[in-house]
This record gives sequence, C-alpha cells and structure tokens, in this order.
Amino acid sequence: MSLDNLHVDALVVGGGIAGMQSALDLGDQGFQVALVECEPSIGGKMITLSKVFPTLDCCSCITTPKMSAVAHHPNIKLFTYCDVQSVQEADGGYRVNLVQKPRYVDASKCTGCRECEYACPITVPSPFDRGLGAYRTIRVPFSTAVPQVAVLDMDYCILCGKCEKVCAAKAVDFNQQPEPFEIQASTLVVASGFELTPLGAKKEYGGGKLRNVIDPLMMERFLAPTGPYGRVLRPGDGKEPTSIAYVQCAGSRDTTLGIEYCSRVCCMYAIKQAMLISGALPLAEITIYYMDIRTFGKGYEQFYQNAQAMGVEFIRGKVASIREDDDQNPVVKVELTEEGRTIERTHDLVVLSLGMVPVPGSNTALNLPLGSDKFIAIPAPNASPCATAHPGIFVTGAAMGPMDIVDSIVTASSAAAAASAYIREHKKEAVYA
Amino acid sequence: MSDQKNGTPSRGEVLKRLREAHGTTVERSQAMMKEQKQMQNAICQFIRETPKTVPEIAAEIGRPTHEVLWFVAALRKYGIVVEAGMCGDYPLYQRAKEVQV
Repeated sequence: MSLDNLHVDALVVGGGIAGMQSALDLGDQGFQVALVECEPSIGGKMITLSKVFPTLDCCSCITTPKMSAVAHHPNIKLFTYCDVQSVQEADGGYRVNLVQKPRYVDASKCTGCRECEYACPITVPSPFDRGLGAYRTIRVPFSTAVPQVAVLDMDYCILCGKCEKVCAAKAVDFNQQPEPFEIQASTLVVASGFELTPLGAKKEYGGGKLRNVIDPLMMERFLAPTGPYGRVLRPGDGKEPTSIAYVQCAGSRDTTLGIEYCSRVCCMYAIKQAMLISGALPLAEITIYYMDIRTFGKGYEQFYQNAQAMGVEFIRGKVASIREDDDQNPVVKVELTEEGRTIERTHDLVVLSLGMVPVPGSNTALNLPLGSDKFIAIPAPNASPCATAHPGIFVTGAAMGPMDIVDSIVTASSAAAAASAYIREHKKEAVYA
Repeated sequence: MSDQKNGTPSRGEVLKRLREAHGTTVERSQAMMKEQKQMQNAICQFIRETPKTVPEIAAEIGRPTHEVLWFVAALRKYGIVVEAGMCGDYPLYQRAKEVQV
C-alpha cells in the first residue's frame, strides 16, 4: 500500500459523532476533507451505546448511516487506524504527519467475511465491550464497523497462519509495516472526544476491584442488542440483577479527584439506563443516589418525571463507600443529606455514574492550550465557540468539554461552519496576494 | 529467500522477522492459548449433556465465576455455546450442538 501525500481543505481529527458530522458538513459544501481516526473503525463512543436520551432512539440507527455516508462521500477521504504524530504550520495552513498502523490485512482485498476471526485460536478481551466481551486476535472490530476490514493485533498473535489459510481473498499480509505519510490542510477540526473518569479513581467505591461495580458504558453494552451477554447480567457471576443502583457524581464535582466540573450527561444517562433496565428487567428495583438532578436540556425534565412515574427510586444522598458481601453483592453506604443519617443498602449491581475527562495523550501532537478543566481551551466562547487559540484550528464535541450527543452534533456543525468561513477567507487572500 | 524480481521478502522471511521481533509476545500468547483451550474444553465438556449456570460451571471446574462468565460469553459469541433457559436468576448455558431445536 502506498499513501500519497495529500492536500485537503480540512483535516478532521477523530471519527466519532462530532468528527463525522463536521466532515460531512464540510464535504457537502464541496470542500476536500480528510478524516483521521486512530481506531480501526469510525463511530467513536456513540456506536457502542444502546439508545439516546431523551427520545430513546436506537444509537446504531443514527450512527451507522453517518458512518456509511462518511465512507462513501466523494469529498471525504477516510483514514482509519492512523495516529497523528505532529502538526506544523506551513504555507498558510498546517502540515500534519501521520502514521498508518499496520492492520496486517490488505484493506483493498479484505471483504469483511470474518472467516479469519472464526479460524483464529486466541480469544482476547474486546475494548468495544469494555473488556467484558471477547473477540479474536484477528477480527472485524464490530458488526457495523466502517470500514468492514479485519485487523490483527500483533501483541497476541502466535503467527500460526490459520487466518492466512482460510482467507479466500488472500488479504492477510504479515509484511505490513507502520507507514508514515503527510497531509497538508488549510484548516483542522479537532474532535478527539473524551474518556470516562477511571473506574477505580475513587477507591472507596471499589470500582475495578468489586466485579459488580461497573461503569456506565459497560451498562450501555449490556443494554445493546449486540452486547457481550445478550442480556443484562452482572459480570461477577452471570446473575440477572434484581436490584440495581446508580451512584451519581462518582467521577465529577469532586475536588479529591481534581475534577471539579459537572459532566452534564451523567444524570440523563443514568435516568435513560434506568428506564431501559425497567423495560429489560421489569421486576428489577432501580435506585439512583444523587446530590442534584440536572436535567437542563429540551425535554429532559419530562424524561426525569417519566422515570419517576415508572417507579425508579431517587434517593438524595452522598454515597460514602461501597463494599461487597459474601455473595458478591455490593453494599452501599449512603449519607441521606436531607435526613442527616446514614444507611446501608445491598444491591445486586452498582453503576458508578462516571464523568467525562479528556482522552490522555490526545493533545500531544496538536499542543493546543488547555483550559483549567484540561479540555482544549476556547479563548472566546461567546464570540467564537469552536475556535482554539491557533487560527485555523477548530474544536468540536467532547474534546472541548463535557457535553451530550445533541450538543456534540451542534458544535460539530458550528465548527464546520467556522472552518468553512476560514477556508473561504484563506482562499480569497491567496487570490488577492 | 527474497523475491528477486520486486525485492519483496518471502513469507518465510517475513514470519522469521516477526518471530524475532515479537518473540516474547508469541511465547506469552502460546501459553495463553493453551490455558484458554483447557478452560474452553472443561466448560464445553461439563455442559455437553445438561445446561448449567455460570456458578455451577465455576464450582465444577474450580475457577472464579467472573472468569467462567467471560469464557461462556466468548463461546456464545462464536456459536459454540447457547442459552438454554433460566434457573432462578441465572441463565443456563449448553454446548450448541446438543441443544434440541
């Protein structure tokens, strides 16, 4: 494979919902766009979710058509499994150095038939399922991945050659090497997304140690039809839970974690998951321990009231600690703030409503100034909500701070509009120069 | 031997180079594969005749329940194991070809 050095109008970094929306908006306006994603497929966090709030629409049904539109757009060139190495100002734009990581599979030949995956003898934890599900050392990342091309993880490969033998397209290519290439772009749109606060960040909650204390993206996978167990089970022993608790503000609004901000989505995703669990497990008791419920968006307050009407129990209090009893049940110790007393309650499964933090290392190559929350700084948030401190570099989605899917899409279109204006201005200057 | 016409290394040369570069991970993964096969065989053997829950399988083969669940989920994904009803709050799992349709 040979990667020609490209000249594009805009380079979008990150193939989640925000990056895809920005790329599509720019591509639709006739600009040449390169979209770079570090994972083997685009789709980001959103493709792993079950349903969106407050409409409870299927996430996959929204995301998959956008993934497909990006892949087939005549003005968008898609680069998956690529890392951005460095960004330099050059010729009035930006020179971006990237590396195509080896898939050990020829993307032009692979048909995505998954025969290699079935033949591979090594099973490894799947990050798509937050480690609770499995896939093989060579695999198509997930069923709706774009591109539908297998990727081999050399860290677990025993070089047995079984994948090579079963591949009718002769696509397995052990000779691939990391391949550096360069893209020149007039403008950059950064859509590098977010990570959750680490599950084990708050030691007293036992996350990462107690098997039945999980993060919200794990619950998303349980609720998704393609989830690791095909139903909601607790990961400690495969029991169908009859009592599930949510601990709000488990990774936000907490000075001990250095995360003082509200992550803005935790109340809504907890309420959404509670409603979906009520549908999947009608007999389950669901409790949400909260400090404040923040349902600020359009239709969100009604959503909260619907959850109350469905029987979801909301208890105002601060969870002090979680321990495990002899049957692997998490025991939650809660300080009831309005009553001034402490209680202990036992549940089958506890979900920590973790907050949003920047992706570690996502700004290393870009080296953009950061705000006090460590997300990419926006110097003039009211006048130019997507402009970074560098002219011609725009930011969108959760790379600029915690936000939900609706706001990510709004900022993605906003960043695309700002980038479009910048490119046009830039071209006008070039003509008159 | 290299392909003299276009300078592309032969398959043997490529694999040799990869084995040298990834010797430690290949060795570790081979040990992991051996362990996985033992575990998968033990699970499949126990649920060949009668469907069992994860705690029952774990008790039989002497491994932690969370580990057994992970293997059962992997076997289910690749069609080797299927769900076969419930026993209380626990799903039952059975070796796929033994299930009566």
